[in-house]
Amino acid sequence: MQQAEIRDFLIRFFSSSECTLLPVDNQTQLKVKLTKQMDKLLMNRPFYWHYIEQIGAVPETATLTFRFDDQIDEGEFIHFGSPRLHQIFNTAEEMGRYIRLYQVLPSQAAPALEPWLGLNMKVSYQCDLKKDRLISIGLQLVNGVLIEGFQSMLGKLELIQKLPDYCYTLSPLITVKSGIQRIERFIASELETEPYEWADQASERWKKDEDLLDAFYEQEEEKPDRYNQEKKALEEQYKPRITIRLVNAGLFYLQSSTFMPQFIKDR
Amino acid sequence: MKPLIQFDRTWHEKFFKRINEDGPWTKSELFSLAYLAEKERSVPSFHGLIAPRRLPQLKLHPHQIETARMVIEDMHGKAILADEVGLGKTIEAGLIIKEYMIRGLVKKVLILVPASLVLQWVSELNTKFYIPAVPQRKAYVWSQCDIVVSSIDTAKRQPHHDIIMEQDYDLIIIDEAHKLKNHKTKNYQFVQTLKKKFCLLLTATPIQNRLSEIFYLVSLLKPGYLGDAESFSKNFKSGTRSVKNEDTLKALVNQVMVRNRREDTGLHWPKRIIKSFDIPFSEAEQTFYESLSELKENGIIQPFSLLTLQREACSSREAAFVTLNKIYKSTAHPMNERLWHNLFDKLNRVNQNAKANKTLELIKQINDKVIIFTEYRATQLYLQWFLKKNDISSVPFSGGFRRNKKDWMRMLFQNKVQVLIATEAGGEGINLQFASHMINYDLPWNPMRIEQRIGRIHRLGQENDVHIYNFATRGTVESHILHLLYNKIHLFEQVIGDLDKILTHIDLKNVDQQVTQIFEESESDGEIKVKLDNLSSVINFEQNQLEERDHHAASGNS
Repeated sequence: MQQAEIRDFLIRFFSSSECTLLPVDNQTQLKVKLTKQMDKLLMNRPFYWHYIEQIGAVPETATLTFRFDDQIDEGEFIHFGSPRLHQIFNTAEEMGRYIRLYQVLPSQAAPALEPWLGLNMKVSYQCDLKKDRLISIGLQLVNGVLIEGFQSMLGKLELIQKLPDYCYTLSPLITVKSGIQRIERFIASELETEPYEWADQASERWKKDEDLLDAFYEQEEEKPDRYNQEKKALEEQYKPRITIRLVNAGLFYLQSSTFMPQFIKDR
Repeated sequence: MKPLIQFDRTWHEKFFKRINEDGPWTKSELFSLAYLAEKERSVPSFHGLIAPRRLPQLKLHPHQIETARMVIEDMHGKAILADEVGLGKTIEAGLIIKEYMIRGLVKKVLILVPASLVLQWVSELNTKFYIPAVPQRKAYVWSQCDIVVSSIDTAKRQPHHDIIMEQDYDLIIIDEAHKLKNHKTKNYQFVQTLKKKFCLLLTATPIQNRLSEIFYLVSLLKPGYLGDAESFSKNFKSGTRSVKNEDTLKALVNQVMVRNRREDTGLHWPKRIIKSFDIPFSEAEQTFYESLSELKENGIIQPFSLLTLQREACSSREAAFVTLNKIYKSTAHPMNERLWHNLFDKLNRVNQNAKANKTLELIKQINDKVIIFTEYRATQLYLQWFLKKNDISSVPFSGGFRRNKKDWMRMLFQNKVQVLIATEAGGEGINLQFASHMINYDLPWNPMRIEQRIGRIHRLGQENDVHIYNFATRGTVESHILHLLYNKIHLFEQVIGDLDKILTHIDLKNVDQQVTQIFEESESDGEIKVKLDNLSSVINFEQNQLEERDHHAASGNS
């Protein structure tokens, strides 16, 4: 992530969380006055807040100054490795976990909105090495149409938090619960068809080390505890596995005809 | 083997709850930002390092990055890091921890280091790598904190031992791991019982004396990798020190060990500028020095004690007094009283110290930070007093100081005072590369100690040329050592680490004993000269051999 992208991210983050951006002289700095909520999330000073709330005083929330250039002095230098940025990333993820949105339709369109379940998931391939990828899947809860790349599609639509006055929503035939199951089954079947040399290679490494370990303790009839422990450690080190966890999830009320059918993937 | 597929479903309930209760829901912008944050943090490939890009303020050297990559990708996270002193093993370890943490392969880390280095590790990991490491101070730290730095001695004791055994560590790092070469020690057995998913052993001197040492070190890391003790000695051992099937063993070891050498790193190393000073005694000092022989001539002390006294007298009358006083008390006899009286009288007449004067002159001239090394505590005190009298403030440093005191002295030296007076290099690790001038006020008889002294300042991070000033008192045992031995084997120019190899190879670990013997047993200066010459020739010969072998090895790519 480049410095300009980080700056852009922070501006979007603090604006959308209702903090006040203060004027600065140049592009290499960013100054922000936190809201009470954000102060509590970012500043790690529970005693201050406890005290202020006990005596009922007016709190003075913190002002943060970031700099994107390590040549200047004032402010906290922020870059892709700085703990502060990752704290903000974590906060954004925590705050941005669940959503419900409605599409704003062009005036001549029919007023019906279909229910969609959207899941952004992180898929991690892990042995002694690890890599990840994100997948974004949308499932239409009436006819079961499933599309990939859902998040970037959403980016092209105008969405709001309340149902527009002139629109109505169709009732889902698929429950959210079974919708999630369908998406999981879809992901699992996709993963099953992927090549898995990486897992084979990891298993080979695992087997090799385990054979050495067995040979090392071959003479001992009663295996010591550390033999079993090493064995367990090897499993943790090498055992190939794919874990899928949620990034964020939402219910969306959309009209497919405005973005389909080019995304249809599966039924 | 097909990978296991696991879905995390802990979020379902929270989502259903929001649906049932109609919120709270996040905003569209935050939803997108959350996705973006996760996307930016995803690591798309098994290979390559992510960490360097997240450490823009850390200057990493190519060999450090390559080492981290090799350890993770080729050695699967179990390795011996055996770079020569000063190439940044701590940095490599930090980089590996960081990479694993970013990728989410490692969360809980245990770092075991010598007590004197605990705070240094904590501070480097925090400031250079943004790794929230903490020193172990209270028992709860083990379970509450993810990245803990402690000494082995603390860790193996109760109640810590049992608490540690209950933790589930992803990565274990052991600094100065060559101390674990003896498998019968408590420390070895403690480390052996730790669960090691990923494990790094750091050492500058991996293969020392006995072949079995490398066997036990590797067996900590990967039990069975070199066979069991029996098959190992059958396959590789012929005698305690010599190896058979050397190439096979080397190839095996190289797959679990990274050893970068100075000359291979292509880094610019600061020059060493060496100056030796032959300092004449003042008249009073000379008289005192000479009168010491009377003790031997009158049968009060053995040759060995005379040698000790002479060396001390070369340092300071204070140093000599401590020993003299001890001997006096244990041998006092009316018959010797006159002789002793005479001797102490001469000692009392010494009213200045030629070396101290020279030191003062040099410090003023250098006008920068200076480290003074002396062998004697009494000299250390005297020098501190002497410099203070001349308006130069200094701090003492001794191996016996507690961890906090060492750190405090180092900080004072770095930020406040011009001079640090040390009695020993502290074997392992205090790093003083912010200073570039060093005075060897007196010379230890073990050349390895000189190496350790120089290693404190001639290391990665040193930005200036390193100046080393050697003092020897003219016409004494000390000047023999300096001119007939140390200068001849180019001790002060030696690459750190080489000497150790040489001495190990010719089985000459105890040079100081050899030298002592030469002085004790020789009847004349001429004899001393011949014998020291022989010694230096042997060392030089081995050095040439070693260079040739290295050259050979490098071209043979083994």
